[in-house]
Amino acid sequence: MTTALHIDDLRKSFGGQCVLDGVSFEVTPGSIMGLLGPNGAGKSTLIRSIMGIVTPDAGTITLGGKPWTREGVQRIGYLPEERGLYKDMKVGEQAVYFAQLKGMEKKEAVKSLRHWFERLEVEGWWDRKVSDISKGMAQKIQFICTVVQGPELLILDEPLSGFDPINARRIIDVVRSLAAEGTSIMLSTHDMPSVERLCDHVVLLNRGRVVLQGASDQLREEGWNGSQEVVFRGNDLTFTNALGAWAHLDGIEPTPQEGVRKAAIRLREGVAPGSVINALQGQVELQEFIKVRPAMERLFIDAVEKEKSIPESTVS
Amino acid sequence: MKVNLIGTVIYREWRTRVVKRSFLIGTLLTPILSVGLIIGSVLLTDGVEVNHLVLVEDAPGLITRLDAASGQYVPRCPGCFPERDNLEYRFVREAPEDSVWLAQGHTVLVEYDESVLQNAAGYMVYEKSPGVQAKRQIERDLSRAMEHARVMESTELDWSAYQRLKLDLTLFDRESTEEGREEGGGDEVRGLIGFLFSAVLFMVLAVYGGLIMRSVVEEKSNHVVEVLVAAVRPEALLLGKVIGMGCVALTQIIAWSLLSTLTFGIFQSLFDAGWVNGSMAAGTEDIPIDLLTVMAQNEALSVLLDIQWGVMILGTVAFFIGGFLLYGSLYAAVGASVQSEQEGQGMVVAIILPLMFAYMAGGGAMSNPDVPVFTWLGYIPLTAPVIMLVRLAIGVAWWEAVLSWCLLILTARLVLGLAGRIYRNGVLHDGGKSGWKLWVQWMRKDER
Repeated sequence: MTTALHIDDLRKSFGGQCVLDGVSFEVTPGSIMGLLGPNGAGKSTLIRSIMGIVTPDAGTITLGGKPWTREGVQRIGYLPEERGLYKDMKVGEQAVYFAQLKGMEKKEAVKSLRHWFERLEVEGWWDRKVSDISKGMAQKIQFICTVVQGPELLILDEPLSGFDPINARRIIDVVRSLAAEGTSIMLSTHDMPSVERLCDHVVLLNRGRVVLQGASDQLREEGWNGSQEVVFRGNDLTFTNALGAWAHLDGIEPTPQEGVRKAAIRLREGVAPGSVINALQGQVELQEFIKVRPAMERLFIDAVEKEKSIPESTVS
Repeated sequence: MKVNLIGTVIYREWRTRVVKRSFLIGTLLTPILSVGLIIGSVLLTDGVEVNHLVLVEDAPGLITRLDAASGQYVPRCPGCFPERDNLEYRFVREAPEDSVWLAQGHTVLVEYDESVLQNAAGYMVYEKSPGVQAKRQIERDLSRAMEHARVMESTELDWSAYQRLKLDLTLFDRESTEEGREEGGGDEVRGLIGFLFSAVLFMVLAVYGGLIMRSVVEEKSNHVVEVLVAAVRPEALLLGKVIGMGCVALTQIIAWSLLSTLTFGIFQSLFDAGWVNGSMAAGTEDIPIDLLTVMAQNEALSVLLDIQWGVMILGTVAFFIGGFLLYGSLYAAVGASVQSEQEGQGMVVAIILPLMFAYMAGGGAMSNPDVPVFTWLGYIPLTAPVIMLVRLAIGVAWWEAVLSWCLLILTARLVLGLAGRIYRNGVLHDGGKSGWKLWVQWMRKDER
């Protein structure tokens, strides 16, 4: 299967400082990939390398199965983190200008833009000056300018910043539907809940290196440390005794329901959930036994902390 | 570099500046207001012209005689005092006290004695100054009358015979060339015209160069630039910006030229119709009232008609294009490497220095175009756009102009490439120090 974007051993240094250190990953067609990493991890340089703004020192970038070219970049929709609009231009006029820079004919651009303005409910702002619109509205216009040409690959850097929850939800829906229509999406963000909600795959970058990558579900599964949430009716002491050597008890707390308790446990290595369920049944009234996979945020923090413990000199 | 993308950038740069109320008003009003002010001042002068009744105290009796019929003193040379709307003369041998002649309605008293023919000086007495124009008319009239008196006194010729013998010699310039003699001269006026052209070019480069810098700084500060450089190669973006702004400048210059020509035409019509005759041509009653004829008869102005305007305009456009590409890309590079306009001013000074030097040297080239230093400055690309316009107006071998322009274009191309590298690296450089060191670093980076 041809990948939408394939990065292989990408390297870049600025003034002797290594910013990208052999980065490799790929984005499959129609998928949403989350590019994560702390500040200064090299995300922006990576994106700028893909967009041709920065030239990598080594490595290859393949777009839609073909080696990187300027023409290939024209098929990418790019929403940078630092984004803006010309204040003295009208909204519609400006959107047409950006679409033309992406190679669209004016007529075609106007038609597509009208559709998108309607879809994101900003059609009444076409003839208004940018200086007259709100920040959230400007964000919507910028998003429209990114998707107007129907890109094969969409690179969104912090796409939800500046949006209220309602509009953020609307953008998420649009991103999902674009992916469903076959657009490959690379999403760079610090907003972990949106990563969990949107991303099929994640790539975690730290100090210019990929420290974690894979399918979101798989990563969370791999990061599972045996945590379970147990909801039961019964005595705490009985519960603890029944748990015995099968699992660690991290804590028990009451629930709004009278006599019902919620416990956080971690199964000991090699213990199957069924063994614990068997041990608990008959001792307490077991209501729920839920597997608690780690949040993306936890995986992110753990991976970055783990990297921190490795001395700088060994990381390259 | 995709031409249609550059075209899109050029069109945006041009449109957002030209289709703007302030630009339209400025472009339309500047020439109209300028010519309007000139015409207005002429018409106003015409309207408020004060009539003067001049009392001439011809004590020595040089220019007047007693008319037996009227008992009044009248000029011996009536033609020397033509009828005018604003001047009327009365002649006496002895003027009364000031309060008396003033009470009689006279506004000016002219008095002189016998020595006037030797020292050519007398007095003009008034309560309120009659103004420069009226004073000159009075001086001219009395000079002719006294010249008449002198001729009558010291020659046996009559006045009309004297006037026929009178000769004003004009020396026409002829240059000796290999092909023979050719019409020449008027270098000062030609040089001045060339200097005016170069002054316009200097101003356009300085003003619009500044606008290019401001535009780049704005794109950086409002964060549009990253979207732009992701879509268009930075070099193409820079080229589009420079050409776009150049088109704005050309639009303004062409609009001003057309409007000025139009207003010149209106002014000539007014001249022909005699509207401004009273103010401008009064006192020179033998002057033909046709502007072009006036220019042709005036030694200095005739050079204007003699200048090869086609070559001048073509040269101006050619050197404007080269100069604008060269300086415009430098201004864009400054804009890309700074965070604010104020920060850019320091670097702009260094860029504008050669241009200012050229402008000042242009003043020297105006009077001494063939001094070797000016010839060389005409070849140096940073000074050529300004210097060559002066030399073109005075006259320069075609190959010199072509060589100078080719050098300019080649340098502009080279600078455009280097400025593109500075622009590429600079537009995303946010924070930290900017300056020449960074320029050198960025210029060495050959990006894809």
